[in-house]
Amino acid sequence: MTALDEASFTVEPGRIFGLLGANGAGKTTCMRIVLDILESDGGSVTWEGMRNSELPRRTWGYLPEERGLYTRMRVMEVLRFFAALYGVPEARATAEVEEWLERFHVPDYRDRKIEELSKGNQQKIQFIAAILHDPDVLIMDEPFSGLDPVNVQLLKEAFLEMRDRGKTLIFSTHQMETVEELCEAIAILDRGKVVVSGAVRDVKRAMGRQVVRLATDGDGRGTEWLTQIPGVTITQDREDYVELTVPSGSDPEAILRAALARDERVTRFEIGDPSLEEIFIEYVGRRDLEEERHLAAGSGAPTEDPS
Amino acid sequence: MRSLFPNAWVVARREYGVRVKNRTFAILTIGLMLVGLGLAFAPLLFRVLGGDEPTRIGVVLQATDPPANAISFLDQSLNGTGGTTATGGGYALETITDAASARQQVTDGTLDGALAIGRNASGELSFDYFADASSTNRSVLAIQSAVSSLVVSDRLTARGVTDLQRVFAPASFALEPLHPDQQDRSPEELVSGYLLGIVLVVVTFMAIIMYGNWVAVGVAEEKSSRVMELLITAATPRQLLFGKVLGNGAAGLTQYLSIVVAAVVGLVAQGPLSQALLNEPAGTTDFAGLTAPVLITFGVFFVTGFILYCTLYAGLGAMASRQEDVQQIVMPMTVVGMVGYFASFAAAQSPDAAWAKLLSFIPFFSPYLMPLRVVNGSVGLPELALAVALMLVFIWLAIIVAARIYAAGVLLYGQRPGFRTVLAATFGSSARAR
Repeated sequence: MTALDEASFTVEPGRIFGLLGANGAGKTTCMRIVLDILESDGGSVTWEGMRNSELPRRTWGYLPEERGLYTRMRVMEVLRFFAALYGVPEARATAEVEEWLERFHVPDYRDRKIEELSKGNQQKIQFIAAILHDPDVLIMDEPFSGLDPVNVQLLKEAFLEMRDRGKTLIFSTHQMETVEELCEAIAILDRGKVVVSGAVRDVKRAMGRQVVRLATDGDGRGTEWLTQIPGVTITQDREDYVELTVPSGSDPEAILRAALARDERVTRFEIGDPSLEEIFIEYVGRRDLEEERHLAAGSGAPTEDPS
Repeated sequence: MRSLFPNAWVVARREYGVRVKNRTFAILTIGLMLVGLGLAFAPLLFRVLGGDEPTRIGVVLQATDPPANAISFLDQSLNGTGGTTATGGGYALETITDAASARQQVTDGTLDGALAIGRNASGELSFDYFADASSTNRSVLAIQSAVSSLVVSDRLTARGVTDLQRVFAPASFALEPLHPDQQDRSPEELVSGYLLGIVLVVVTFMAIIMYGNWVAVGVAEEKSSRVMELLITAATPRQLLFGKVLGNGAAGLTQYLSIVVAAVVGLVAQGPLSQALLNEPAGTTDFAGLTAPVLITFGVFFVTGFILYCTLYAGLGAMASRQEDVQQIVMPMTVVGMVGYFASFAAAQSPDAAWAKLLSFIPFFSPYLMPLRVVNGSVGLPELALAVALMLVFIWLAIIVAARIYAAGVLLYGQRPGFRTVLAATFGSSARAR
């Protein structure tokens, strides 16, 4: 089985990078290859000019998707153990652990057994385990899954703190809002292929359109008139607002002018780039469709007219 | 390839800490220390329980003119010139006038035997021994030989020989044993040596099977709890594997040394104890086969055998996805261990048999058979050196093979791989041991 097929992307040092993809897209495999715990059949991973197999292990900090710690050991013991594997002196490890436990509001956990902690708290401990040796690059598989909103916030702050220290962060997630909030660059993986990658701004620009969110007070007057404006299509007709897309070349303010011309009471007018969620669905969804057509054609089944 | 240390050391330290803090480990160690202590006391125990009280014999002089010194003569030839000795147990003779009452006392158990001395028609001394014993009994044989001397002495006296002391002076006799290290072994000590051999085999077997399984379960646990993914990011399979074996080996050694200390304490305490219990002078007791060569051989083979088995157990443990699968996957190793175990019981009966000698050089079996052979016979130093060298070569091979299995197995989640998958993963292109 091929989990990854010619997946290629670049992560700039000192950035927060989002690795997006549906379940089974190959995110975890990709991370394992970067970490040199899986060997790829071809291709290479380089960081600052060096191949990953030549880099010291302490370059990377890893938070696997499947969390796991020695459940019968105490928090401090476990963390010191992993720090020691990376050659961190015990005194420094102890000080760092105490600092991070404090930051995560759980200073009294240091002598608790791992099995006594909730899943969310175990995850915090695991995050500390991944960063104790001060890695240059932090690779995290679904770091936010299973965390309550308070802990999500704590972890986001920790991310920003790490970035401010000059670290590079790569993480995978399904939560597009988090990506919008934190990531400067992304790669979207679909079935082992990178379908799009780059700075978030560039990815959005490359979609070739802008998004307008418009809300008016005049209920029940319909949205038909909007489709009359050249180039405008309605992507979402919600109760609270209408979302429209405009090709990059045209002026979105034409919509506002048209609304005002119709004496609409405009309560919201917002010009923006398409959301990552849209982009994700568009890339991953479109490929899904192509795949199905391809399969259908290959099997000789009658195909529907795509028009 | 990255160096084994210090990461193997870090892993070993964790393994050791977890292992020695384990309750089962503590209970087993204490149990085995008691066994060691008991074993050290075995010879003393044999002597205390084995009835080392003197054999009491009532002598009835029925002859009209019995030799004047009959009683003291018999006493001397039965007990030697020094009287009752520490090892002999000895014989206590008393004169009883009435034959019937002597027989009654034997029946009651207050006497062990009644010896009636008379003269037959031709003037020769005749003896009648009444006892609960067969003609091959040690005491019967001793008495028979003593009365024979008495008859000779009586005949010599009748022929006018006077310097009987010179006639019966002990002959100059020196024993030159074929195996000097085995001389002076009493039957009790031989039994104790046999028991010691069996105990060493059982200890080795238990340690290998138990720790081997612990190591395998530990590896499978790391895999199922997903600690493994963190571990292999931080350390190489070889570091992890070697650290595991080292840590568990050190725990095994700790246990072994605890047993040795218990046994040594038992041996040291034996002198004063035997003095107190048997009223014997201190320092006369033997160490019942627990000699330095035995201890060293056992120690060396215990540790190397342990490392050999544990290395392979750890490698196999990495092939399991769930802890329930571990038993099945390590079965081949367990079977090999059992073969050695049962072979050594057969070998305990005939430690010098050719097949036993051959098996004692095969690394998977020598941890059982070599100590056994050393206890029960003499094994030359070249033989031991060869067996140890073979062990070390196999350990080296086992680490290479196990590290490959480990590297291939740790990330194979989901399926329970068959033997073929194991082989393919181990020697295939996707496997590597960094």
